[in-house]
Amino acid sequence: MLTGFFESKQGKWLLLGGLTVCLLLVPKFVTDIYILSILNMMIIYSILCMGLNLILGFTGLLSLGHAAFFGIGAYTTAILMTRYGFGFLSAFFASAVLAMLAGIVIALPTRKVRGDYFCLITLAFGEIFRLVATAWIEFTRGAMGIVRIPMPKIFGIPIVTETHFYYLGLGILIFTYLTLKAITDTRYGRAFIAIREDELAADTMGINTSLYKIMAFSIGCLFAGMAGSFLAVYQTVVTPSNFRLEESCLMIIMVIVGGMGRNLLAPLAGVVVLTVATEVFRSTAEYRMLIIGLIMILVLLLRPQGIFGSSSFKS
Amino acid sequence: MPILDTRDITKQFGGLIAVNQISMTVNKNEIVGIIGPNGAGKTSFINALTGIYKPSSGQVHFKGKEITGLPAYKIAKHGISRTFQNLRVFSNISVLENVMIGAHCRIDNPFHHIFLRPFRSKRIEHQAYEKVIVLLKNVGLEEKKESLAKNLSYGEQRILEICRALASDPELLILDEPCAGMNSAEMDTLADFVKKLRDEGQTIVVIEHNMRFMMAVSDRIIVMTEGAKFREGTPAEIRNDLEVQKVYLGEQEVE
Repeated sequence: MLTGFFESKQGKWLLLGGLTVCLLLVPKFVTDIYILSILNMMIIYSILCMGLNLILGFTGLLSLGHAAFFGIGAYTTAILMTRYGFGFLSAFFASAVLAMLAGIVIALPTRKVRGDYFCLITLAFGEIFRLVATAWIEFTRGAMGIVRIPMPKIFGIPIVTETHFYYLGLGILIFTYLTLKAITDTRYGRAFIAIREDELAADTMGINTSLYKIMAFSIGCLFAGMAGSFLAVYQTVVTPSNFRLEESCLMIIMVIVGGMGRNLLAPLAGVVVLTVATEVFRSTAEYRMLIIGLIMILVLLLRPQGIFGSSSFKS
Repeated sequence: MPILDTRDITKQFGGLIAVNQISMTVNKNEIVGIIGPNGAGKTSFINALTGIYKPSSGQVHFKGKEITGLPAYKIAKHGISRTFQNLRVFSNISVLENVMIGAHCRIDNPFHHIFLRPFRSKRIEHQAYEKVIVLLKNVGLEEKKESLAKNLSYGEQRILEICRALASDPELLILDEPCAGMNSAEMDTLADFVKKLRDEGQTIVVIEHNMRFMMAVSDRIIVMTEGAKFREGTPAEIRNDLEVQKVYLGEQEVE
């Protein structure tokens, strides 16, 4: 009976409201800086994975370069704030827009190339971004990264402590969720799913598949840009090593383990599981990836649709 | 004036001429059947009409407008909707969402309205939902609206695909081998359904192998062989045409 209630519309919103209140109250009970910093990293990955889910889970495009859009957001904020005296909000906005524009440019070839080839383009773009960030020393300071990114201020309120960042991040996360929810509840969300399911059939249903693929991809990148901007002010340092292929793969694993598709919050389960696993096994250094791989294999064997996924869609 | 008018449609793949100068018309409120042996180019012809292939030459006019070579999604917006020979429902999503996707191009909900006029956007989406529910009730799939399409029986999936095509309020509905894999009971139900659609004012083109089905539903039949139009006539004329029988049953005259 209880599950029935939580599946109704009011029940769902009540559940989400309750969850939000709990999340808002977390810093009241958790004062440990280390735990808060892990929560903040989870928030960053959650924003990234929600965006990636739109690309991968809804539209079925495999992007191996999501970290590059994350990086574009981070570098934009870092450069604008350290060198051009931008405030956080304007830099944040610019980061999101720039990441989205980059997303549009990268997604343009989907008009001609499909599937595996598109995946290779994103892979190449991710590597190009990392190499440029490493090699263009005058602009990005190379491997040293951009340091001393100023403390962000929002309407005059300085964001300093882990708790402040927690609330800022949570705000961005909730914004991400509500925006994606609004989009995916309309014909646009359904069109993305139709493309994943059968592109030719989607086309004959009157869906401009090229346009919608670009839309889904660039919206996903927009949120990656926001996450990047947040990362820049949170870490106060950005280096190319934040945006390697491993990061892109980790995001994909998080989305798959959590569950792709309709349920926008499902990927967050993957974020929690993998972030906790990464922290717990931090001491094992290189073997960490081995353990992450193992977790993924186990989840895929036991629950192919992901922890909270509704249905596995590769039959 | 015919609703669909094709003039000398040709489709070549390299040296192979799959469709050779086919001219045909479809009048409003009529069921036109296209038959022919395997490889006669029926599906290629339909693909050239619906924008999946670009015709090599020839023209397609629909409701007096030329639509030759337009991309498939634009042709769908003009009002031609189709199903596929090898069943292409969206298997991993609900029956309801399948049909909602069919209504996609008739939901007047511009992207910026989602944020700038959210109440209008919600209302438009809800109107579409209610229309789809009516459609599902008509075909008897309403109770299964939440099931995944892949969990439906084969016959139901066929009906679902037609339903999805109907959701876009097409002025011309093209059915590509709708009976493939159906048993004869399912086939009779489908024939009744197609005739009912026609009686409600729908214009339909059907490609099908099954002669019993075609004789039952068609107002006019076009026979294709080797990419070209071979005969055209009423079901009775086609049935009694010895040449057609020869093409259909193969060259098996007794010497």
